[in-house]
Amino acid sequence: MNVKSLFWFYVGFVFASFASSLWLLLSSVLTVMPMPLPYWLLYTPGNIATAGIIVTALMLALYTYLGIALVLNKMNRGFIPITMVIAFTIGITLLLVRQAIPALVILVIAYVMLIGTYIVITSVTTSRTSKALWGVATIILALIPPILIGGGLAVINYIRYMAITEQTMAITASAVEAWRLGVEQ
Amino acid sequence: MVVLALAIVSVVVLVANSIYAVPSPISSVRIGGFGEVDYYASQPILNAPPGLLVRVYLINGSSVKPVNAFIDVYANAPNGIVHVAMGYSSILIVPFNSTNWLYALGKWASLGIPFSGYNTSMLVFITYMHGNESWIVPLLIPYNVGWAYRALGKSTPLTATLSAATPRYIVVNAYINVNELRPNKVVPVRLNGTVTDPQVFGTYNGYTVYNCSLSGPEPPSIYTTSYVFQPTSTCLGFNGSLPIAWATWSNGVIQSDQGLQFELNIYFSGTINWDAMSTDYGDLGTSYSANENWILSSPTYTIGSQITQPGSVYWYYGGATWAIVNYTVWYVEGTMGAYYMGTTTVSEVLYVPPNDAYGNAYDYGNGPISMFYNGSITLSEQYFGYPALNASTVVDYAAFEYTPYGEELWECNGPVGNTSTVFGGVQYTLYTVTLGGVNTAYGLSSAELGTELGGLAFDVLVEVATEGEATPLIEFLNNVGSAIFDIAGLLIPPSTSTTVTETSLGINFTTGTNLYISVINASAVYGLPTFGFILNATNYYGIPSSFTCKYNQWVQIG
Repeated sequence: MNVKSLFWFYVGFVFASFASSLWLLLSSVLTVMPMPLPYWLLYTPGNIATAGIIVTALMLALYTYLGIALVLNKMNRGFIPITMVIAFTIGITLLLVRQAIPALVILVIAYVMLIGTYIVITSVTTSRTSKALWGVATIILALIPPILIGGGLAVINYIRYMAITEQTMAITASAVEAWRLGVEQ
Repeated sequence: MVVLALAIVSVVVLVANSIYAVPSPISSVRIGGFGEVDYYASQPILNAPPGLLVRVYLINGSSVKPVNAFIDVYANAPNGIVHVAMGYSSILIVPFNSTNWLYALGKWASLGIPFSGYNTSMLVFITYMHGNESWIVPLLIPYNVGWAYRALGKSTPLTATLSAATPRYIVVNAYINVNELRPNKVVPVRLNGTVTDPQVFGTYNGYTVYNCSLSGPEPPSIYTTSYVFQPTSTCLGFNGSLPIAWATWSNGVIQSDQGLQFELNIYFSGTINWDAMSTDYGDLGTSYSANENWILSSPTYTIGSQITQPGSVYWYYGGATWAIVNYTVWYVEGTMGAYYMGTTTVSEVLYVPPNDAYGNAYDYGNGPISMFYNGSITLSEQYFGYPALNASTVVDYAAFEYTPYGEELWECNGPVGNTSTVFGGVQYTLYTVTLGGVNTAYGLSSAELGTELGGLAFDVLVEVATEGEATPLIEFLNNVGSAIFDIAGLLIPPSTSTTVTETSLGINFTTGTNLYISVINASAVYGLPTFGFILNATNYYGIPSSFTCKYNQWVQIG
C-alpha cells in the first residue's frame, strides 16, 4: 500500500492543531494585556466557539482526505472516516435546524465512527511509536463517554485532562509519523 | 523537523492552557446588548496587572472596531460608591491594587462576611462622542472581593471558602451600538461648578436617604493639552427595610369582603441576583448577589378580625442598602467652552444582609410599602421622570367573581392554583396566586451566564448542553480545539445552587366574595425583586381599560 499519500494528512493534522493552539495562546494572553485588539482576536466564549467550528471544519476536510486516500489505495476501511464526516455533518446540520434529539443520535454515531477512525489510523501507521500513541489515544477516546455518563459533571476535570492527554498523543503521533514518512520520501 | 516542532508547540500550549498558566475563561456574563464580561483564571502575566480591563468597541452595521471613549469606573461599596478610575482611550486598566479600589475592597472586608457569600460589582460608564452626538452606556461588572484579595496575594480567613480557581483578570467588552442606542445631543453650556443638593436627604418612614458618594481618595484627573472630560455623579443612598413582597388591601375589600382570609408566602433558596436598572437602558446586569434562604409563611389574616382598615402586610429585609446614581458628563475644550454630553440614571442594590435577615410587618400608611406607593413615587418621578408604580407595572391579574352560578375564579396571566387545606377543623379550598418563581417571572437572572453567551455556534452548544448529553459534540470539538472545553465548563450550572422559588398569596373566601387581585412588579424601578399583590373589591389596581393576557384570553380556574 502506498501509505505515503497519508503524509499530508499527518502534516495537516499537526498544522491544524498548531494553528488553533497559536490562536489560543496569542488570543488568551493578548486579551488581558492593556493594548487595543481587533474584536476577532479577543478570547471570548463566542470567538472560541467560532474558532472551534473553523478547526472542526478543517479536521473534517482532513478526515475526508484520509478516507479517500485509503479507499483509492483499495483499503475499504477508508469508508469509516468518510462515514464519520458525513454523520458529523448531518448531526451539525440537524442541530442548526434545532432538531436536538435526532442530532444527538447522529452525533453519537459520528463519535463511534471517530473511535473507528482512530482505530483505522492506528492500523495504517508505519512506526511503532506512533502506532502505540494512536492506540492509547483510541482507548482514552473510547473511555471518555462511559466515564462521563457514570460520573456525571463531578468528573468533568478528569475528563478534561483525559481529553488533553488524548489530544497530545494524537498530535505527537501524527508528528512522528509525518516525520518518518517525510524522511523516507 | 518543522512538523515535530509545531507539534511540540501545540502540546505545550495545550498543557499550559489546561493548568491555567495562560488566561483561561472560567465564567462569562452577557449584559444585554451593551457588553460582555469575561473572567479569566491565569498565572501572573508580565505587564498585565490583575484587575479590571475595560475595552470599548463601536458597533456600526456589521463593523466592530475598538474606539476611543471616556471610560469612568466606580466601585460599589456596602454603603455607597467610590470613584476609582477614568480615562479617554479604547482601553482602561484598573488594577485591583489601585488605591481607590482598595479603599472599596476594605469597606467590604470590614463587614466580616466570608467572601464566598456574596458578589458585589463595579459601575462603569462609557461616554462616546461623535460629532454633535454622544452616547453614555452604564454597565455593572459583577465580581467577588475575594478574587482581588487572592490575586494580590492577601490571605485572610474570609478568603478560605472561595473555590479553587478564581479569576485574575476581569475583561469587559463594552459595545457602543450606534445603530440601536439613542444618542444625546451635545450642547454648549456654561459650567457653574456647583452640584445642586437634591433636597431629599433625611429620614422617611424608617428609611434613611443619604449622600452615598463615598469620600474616598479621588482618582487622578485626566488633563490633556486641549480638552478634558468632566464627570459628575450624585449618589442617593437608601438604607432601611427592603420589601420582598407585599399584599395591600383597599377600603372596598374591608367593607365588602368580610371573612376573606389570606396569607403571604415566599419560598426561595439559592443565589439571588439584584440587577441594576437604568432609565434609558433597562436591565444593566447584576449589582449584588448573595445566597438567600427564605421559607416564609405569614399567619392567616382574616378581613374583619385581624384586619379592619386598609393597609399592607409585607415581608422585608432589614438593613439593606440601595442607591440611585445620577451621572452627567461635560466636555471642556480649551477656550472653546463646555459642552453637555448627556446624563443617565442607574438604580442599584449595594448590599443586602446575608441569609435569613427578614421580618414580617403591617403597614398602615407609614411603612415602606406606603413609601413605595407614595414617597418613592415622588422620588422616582424626580429622578426617573416616571412614577414608580402605574398600571403598566401590573403583570398578572386574577379575580373571584360571585355569579348566579356560584363563585368563579378567572385569571389573566396566572398561574393560579388551588389546594385543599384544613383550617380550624374545616376543609377549605385554598386558592393560591403564585408568581412563577422570582427569577423566571421577573428575569432577575437574565444577566447570568448560559443563555446568551455568543453567536450561533454557541447557541448550538448551549442547546445541546442543556439537553444534558452534550458529550459527543463537546468531546469532538475538544478533540480539535481544547479551548472548547473551557466553554463546556462555563455551561455547567453550579451544582451547589438549588433554586426553588415560589411566592404566593393564599386566598380562602366566603360565598359572595368579589375580589380583584392585581400583581405588581416593582422590580424595574429599583432593581429589587419586589412585587406585591393588591386586593380590590370592584376593579383592578389603576382601573385599567385593557389587559394583555397570556394567550390573549382570560382563563377560568374554578
